[in-house]
Amino acid sequence: MGVILKVEGLKKSYGAVEAVKGISFSVDEGEIFALIGPNGAGKTTTLRIVATLLTATAGTVTLMGHDLRKSPDKFRENISYLPEEAGAYRNLKGRDYLKFMANFYAEKPDEAAGFVKRAEDIAGLGERLGSKVGTYSKGMVRKLLLGRALMTRPSLAILDEPTSGLDVINSLEVREIIKRFAKEGISVLLSSHNMLEIEFLSDRVALIDKGRILDSGTAQGLKDKYQAPNLENVFRSALR
Amino acid sequence: MKKFRNLFFKEVKELLSKQLIVSLLLMMGMFYFIGQMTRKEAARAAAAQKISVFDLDKSALSAQLLTGLQTMNFKIEAVTAATAQAAVEAGRAGDTNLLVVIPEGFGESVRRMEPKVVETYSYLRNFSIIGARTSAIVKGFLEAINKVLSDDFLKARVPETTPEAIKSPIKSRDFIIIKSRMAEGSASAVTGFVTSQTVFIPVILMMIILYSSQMVISAIAMEKQNKTLETLLTVPIPRTSIVAAKMLASGFVGLLSAVIYMVGFRSYMSGFTGDMAQMPGVSQVVQKLGLTLNANALVILGASLFFAILCALAMATILGVLAEDFRSAQSLVMPMLILIMIPYFVSMFADVKTMSLPVKLFILAIPFSHPFLAMQNIYLENYRAVAFGVLYMAAFFGVMVYVAGRIFSTDKVLTMKLRWGKKKIVL
Repeated sequence: MGVILKVEGLKKSYGAVEAVKGISFSVDEGEIFALIGPNGAGKTTTLRIVATLLTATAGTVTLMGHDLRKSPDKFRENISYLPEEAGAYRNLKGRDYLKFMANFYAEKPDEAAGFVKRAEDIAGLGERLGSKVGTYSKGMVRKLLLGRALMTRPSLAILDEPTSGLDVINSLEVREIIKRFAKEGISVLLSSHNMLEIEFLSDRVALIDKGRILDSGTAQGLKDKYQAPNLENVFRSALR
Repeated sequence: MKKFRNLFFKEVKELLSKQLIVSLLLMMGMFYFIGQMTRKEAARAAAAQKISVFDLDKSALSAQLLTGLQTMNFKIEAVTAATAQAAVEAGRAGDTNLLVVIPEGFGESVRRMEPKVVETYSYLRNFSIIGARTSAIVKGFLEAINKVLSDDFLKARVPETTPEAIKSPIKSRDFIIIKSRMAEGSASAVTGFVTSQTVFIPVILMMIILYSSQMVISAIAMEKQNKTLETLLTVPIPRTSIVAAKMLASGFVGLLSAVIYMVGFRSYMSGFTGDMAQMPGVSQVVQKLGLTLNANALVILGASLFFAILCALAMATILGVLAEDFRSAQSLVMPMLILIMIPYFVSMFADVKTMSLPVKLFILAIPFSHPFLAMQNIYLENYRAVAFGVLYMAAFFGVMVYVAGRIFSTDKVLTMKLRWGKKKIVL
């Protein structure tokens, strides 16, 4: 498995505030790499930089050999970003929203139709895709957005709190979908507060706090290293 | 291009919501309804109006007066009462709008050239402009009677000259000069005619600019409020295309809204202004002075309006980035409104050329001033001023698009907010 994403010495400042202080990590092909940490640790900022939304103050980010600074458009062709509080256009029907998004990635109508079909399968919303997004529950919107994020089979899916606001059943379904797609070769960079989710999903984990990575490794490896029963305890130990 | 089209149609679809279409149609219907009502009222006022006349004289002259009123499309209702006061009281209870009291001895006094007072009582049952017309027409008629009587008197006493020469020893002929063109006519009548013909242009412009600006600010604000902007910014399409699609779609929907609005507004206004073709005399003077818009003038005017709209869209795009949600977007329309209202009123009530240099520069620095002034400048053959306006707006638009493009290409599109002295940071 080759390296898909490489982040080196990433820094981001907002005026005098340094949000990210030199983060380095890499994500392999088909790997689920998770950033875990408290609020304000710099997880979302890191994901937003990789998603081409924010410009790094220093450091380099490369995706399949493409430098983010030099060719952000190449980046965008190969990534898919699901923000924590993402929404969809309320006046569009669910299926129309998927078509709209698919048209940015597809070269031909057939390809776009294939993307939409895949998104429909992922979202599992059935006939409700013919209704306007404004009538959807939060869980339905999240599933629609996950379908949108994975329908193009991006090289890297960036998922910020993918099960945010979902109930237990929907969360389980979403985790299964992410796991399945990673097995099919899609690399995933995700962040979450939910340690159980991280343990279930991720191949490797980075513990992040105050803009720095404290430690990283597999969930089991970190538990062994810190002799902790779960990742929450691992995090607490790493902070000391 | 395919991706741009995809984005453009999505924007139009989002903007053309059912709510917008219904509200526009309702507004147009409302204007049409009011216009029809006003037109009917005007037609009713123009039809035979009833006047109550209490004739205490019953002389040949008073009969002549009443005949004259009848020829002016008034329906005369003779009042029978014991006294003038009783006639006034009777009118109070009735539905007449005007009572004319011709005093006893009216005919004889006039014959002796001793002024006699004819009293008119206007019953103000409402304050509509149309309602006040009746008394104005009667006043005009009484003045005409006065003229005829005084002319007869002067003819009898001073037969060697005309009454007109005695009453108006100074005559005038009025000429209007515009640059190289000249015509005989009343300057105020021509100004009134031209104003009535062009009054819609600034209103149309104002509506288009306001609608389009509001659309584009709201479109960006809604992207933020609905949390769709971040996703959109990560799709493989140049940021400039995102900005351009939003501007173009907002401009299109804004134009559509303004046209619908103006169709209704024109219907509403025509109820007041009537058919201007009823002024052939003035119309000929206007033709002679070249105060009509030919094809070239329309193209120049169109260019001026077009660039003004582009400037508004570019400015609104930048303002839209500052909005956090739909509510804050509404308040961000205010700066645009101010920038439109200043030249709107200046063009209506003042002459920019006679203003002090700093004020003039300030007015001309506002891009929207130029289309407002373009109409006057075209009529006055100041084509250089119009061309300067178009070039200035093109340059202004270029700068604004560059700024908007820079904002959308950087973090600022997500981090810029209108919080004086504070900057919100998302970690």
